[in-house]
Amino acid sequence: MKSRIFLALLIGAFVTAAKAGAQTVGHAASPVTTSESGAAGISGRNAPARDSARAYDTQALRFESRWGGADIIRGGKGPVIGTVGWFRDSGIEKLLESSPQAVTEAREFKSENFRGSLIGGLGALTVVTGAIITGNSSNNASSPILIVAGAGAMFWGAQHLNRGFSALSRALWYYNRDLKR
Amino acid sequence: MASTLEVGAQERTYEESALRLDSGLGGLRIFRGVSDSLVLSIGTVRRVDVAALVASSPKAVSEAKVFEGNYRQGVWTAAAGLAVWAAAFGIDHIGTNHPVPFGITATTMVLVTYGAMRIDTAKRALSKAIWWYNRDLKR
Repeated sequence: MKSRIFLALLIGAFVTAAKAGAQTVGHAASPVTTSESGAAGISGRNAPARDSARAYDTQALRFESRWGGADIIRGGKGPVIGTVGWFRDSGIEKLLESSPQAVTEAREFKSENFRGSLIGGLGALTVVTGAIITGNSSNNASSPILIVAGAGAMFWGAQHLNRGFSALSRALWYYNRDLKR
Repeated sequence: MASTLEVGAQERTYEESALRLDSGLGGLRIFRGVSDSLVLSIGTVRRVDVAALVASSPKAVSEAKVFEGNYRQGVWTAAAGLAVWAAAFGIDHIGTNHPVPFGITATTMVLVTYGAMRIDTAKRALSKAIWWYNRDLKR
């Protein structure tokens, strides 16, 4: 009887030990899972590269010049998110606020763009005035002076606009560089 | 540590290699990297190989070819239009003052507009080419 009880206890102990062993194997399997998640970790390390490409695809900006102005475009074929040009800056500072260097360049763009628009506009107005005076056949000596001065102002204004667009180009370059990687 | 080095390398790559387009009064210029070094000056007379500059990115190359196929042709077409008008203006003013015939002015307008459209197409393609090139830089 005692031997049967002993045998039963022994079998019970063995079964329990086997279960415990199985559980231990189960726990030991966790590192395997961990190693799988480690594999996932490796793809996780690749993920930033993918994310970075995705971030660039969806967020990087560029501009296309168009008849004296420029469209700010997000992505290769993406939407036009702003237009800059003659007295227009399309809130470019706010758009680029995530990159401090881009904001500095955007400020330069704004100031040069305003100066260029103002000087160029006044120059064009002067040229038109001179042309009207000439067209009216009034023998006025001031008309060639007005035309030459106006053309000069337009050229000076164009230089400011040009400097502005250089700053815009640098601003977008910095913004794209500082995109989250 | 390794990932820190990787990130450093990626940033250096963009810092050193990313291109940007700058349009001056005399033509277009392409600068590289944070040092802003001039790598290509695109004028109207000399042919430049933009496709070779962005050769590492296939999409950039196809856009660069669109640029190359339109830019100089556009400039020359517009210039030809203006030259025709200037010649007519000069000839008509040699003797008695005659206005430039309407046909010449209209031809000039057409040529200048067509040229400007091709320049516009070219510049848009170049902007895309540089965008694709920078996108495909090692990150």
